[in-house]
Amino acid sequence: MTSTLWRAAWAEWGKLWSVRSTWWCLAGAAALMVLTAVTLAAAAATDAVRDGAPGVRVTASESVVSATSFVQFALVALAMLAITAEYSSGGIRVTLLATPVRGLVLAAKALVVAPVMFAAGVLSGAVATAAVYLVLQADAFGGVVVLPFGEVVRDVAGAGAFFALVSVMTLGVGAAMRSAAGTLTVVFMLLLGLPLVLLMTGSQAALDASLRMPTFAGLAFMGSVDNLTGGPVPYPAGEGLAWLLAWTAAALAAGYTVLRRRDA
Amino acid sequence: MISLDGLTKRYGDRTAVDDLSLELRPGTVTGFLGPNGAGKSTTMRLVLGLDRPSAGTALIGGLPYHRIRNPLRTVGALLDARAPHPGRSGRAHLTALARSNGIPVRRVAEVLESVGMAGAAGRRAGALSLGMNQRLGIAAALLGDPEVLLFDEPVNGLDPDGVRWVRQLMRSLAAEGRTVFVSSHLMSEMQLTADHLVVIGKGRLIADAPLAEVIGRSSLTAVLARTPHAGELAERLRAAGIAAERVAENEVVATGAPVERVGDLAHEAGIRLHGLRAREASLEQAYQELTESSVEYGTTGAGA
Repeated sequence: MTSTLWRAAWAEWGKLWSVRSTWWCLAGAAALMVLTAVTLAAAAATDAVRDGAPGVRVTASESVVSATSFVQFALVALAMLAITAEYSSGGIRVTLLATPVRGLVLAAKALVVAPVMFAAGVLSGAVATAAVYLVLQADAFGGVVVLPFGEVVRDVAGAGAFFALVSVMTLGVGAAMRSAAGTLTVVFMLLLGLPLVLLMTGSQAALDASLRMPTFAGLAFMGSVDNLTGGPVPYPAGEGLAWLLAWTAAALAAGYTVLRRRDA
Repeated sequence: MISLDGLTKRYGDRTAVDDLSLELRPGTVTGFLGPNGAGKSTTMRLVLGLDRPSAGTALIGGLPYHRIRNPLRTVGALLDARAPHPGRSGRAHLTALARSNGIPVRRVAEVLESVGMAGAAGRRAGALSLGMNQRLGIAAALLGDPEVLLFDEPVNGLDPDGVRWVRQLMRSLAAEGRTVFVSSHLMSEMQLTADHLVVIGKGRLIADAPLAEVIGRSSLTAVLARTPHAGELAERLRAAGIAAERVAENEVVATGAPVERVGDLAHEAGIRLHGLRAREASLEQAYQELTESSVEYGTTGAGA
């Protein structure tokens, strides 16, 4: 069983890198990460200089965490394609002939997608942090941007872990929905649409629910001060991770059920 | 090697495959025939574990497909000519399949060579012609050097050379002792390729017999005798239990008996023959008779 899983994952690894869309999505995510992080950091630095007390500091990697809310969509697209492209081309049948145990197919894809997304988060986060520091340490931005090593590592690794979990969640939704359009709709609603609608209702229950959806759970996990809710997500990082894991597990369970029950 | 037992697949109230039981033997090419929508592709998908049967079982070497370890090394299948992923090259596609089943990667180059695609191995599958994609699909089926092969319409999109190549490939795979199960619409091609036929209509088994027997059972397979004593010969044959009819002044058509027996009976009766020959129905004719009757069964609701 284990050797079958590793073989299937090894096959999925090859499949991932043998199509151009993978490279486009990763390049897009990296560019978006740098651009968004620099922009958000510039705004934060400007604000800090304008209203801040003397001695205020902006950590260079802070904006990487905020940028994940946007960058995640480029990576969601990549994770989605790992499964929906097989349904649109009929390649899923070939995959299931090679690996007929449905759970192994999903597990193999997750085993490939998760580390790739983690690496994408860490690398793009590191590059973006360096870019923020290089661009914003100039006096025009008050010289308030700092580069504390421990925090940077934490932020960047957090972004990688968040991307990995959101991508595996997308994989689960993709296996359940099968089509790219359906998957994008559901994932977009989970990540952005639903939490925003819930926030707008203004009720406390809706707010609580919204803050436990993947995007805010991710921000809590990464320790971000969230701008959308006007304050930090009111629970600890560990709980954020727990919510993220729960969403990912639920999506995988849904995907596995559909993969097992429905004809390919 | 492939055995179906009461295999049934229902989609809502439509029955696509209806209580199909049969056994496919190694060393033969079994042709799988039936009108469009008869359930051929569904049957193949059920055998391959892609669809779940509503009832019954489909086993390969005694195991359901999903229980076979490294299935590509036991079963090779070509299901449709669509590109596996339009953006992926044939080589990358086959390499992934080889990795997933622990097949040595050098097999990829071997099978690409054997299907005549060595030169196009690096091209994106989406840029390949239908025939080239078909060859790529056949390469994937052969990759694990499997004992059992299923081909759904393998000659779709192939040029005449390709069609001949597929025919020779099927024959040589069976000659090596493998179980080969091929569906096709091309009767003339099947007549040249298959040893054994399985015919289904509306999901039900109509025939499961050697090719020669299916053709022999056709009313168009007959013995034609030319004789000045046509009336007498026809009577003699009928007396011997052979369906015979005088179709012209000096011609009798007998069905259900070999040419030797008709000749011997004429000789015993002292009837002069001016000509005696066997006429064989084509598979297309035999098939048409079979499936026409299946349509009748279907409309009257009687069992096949």
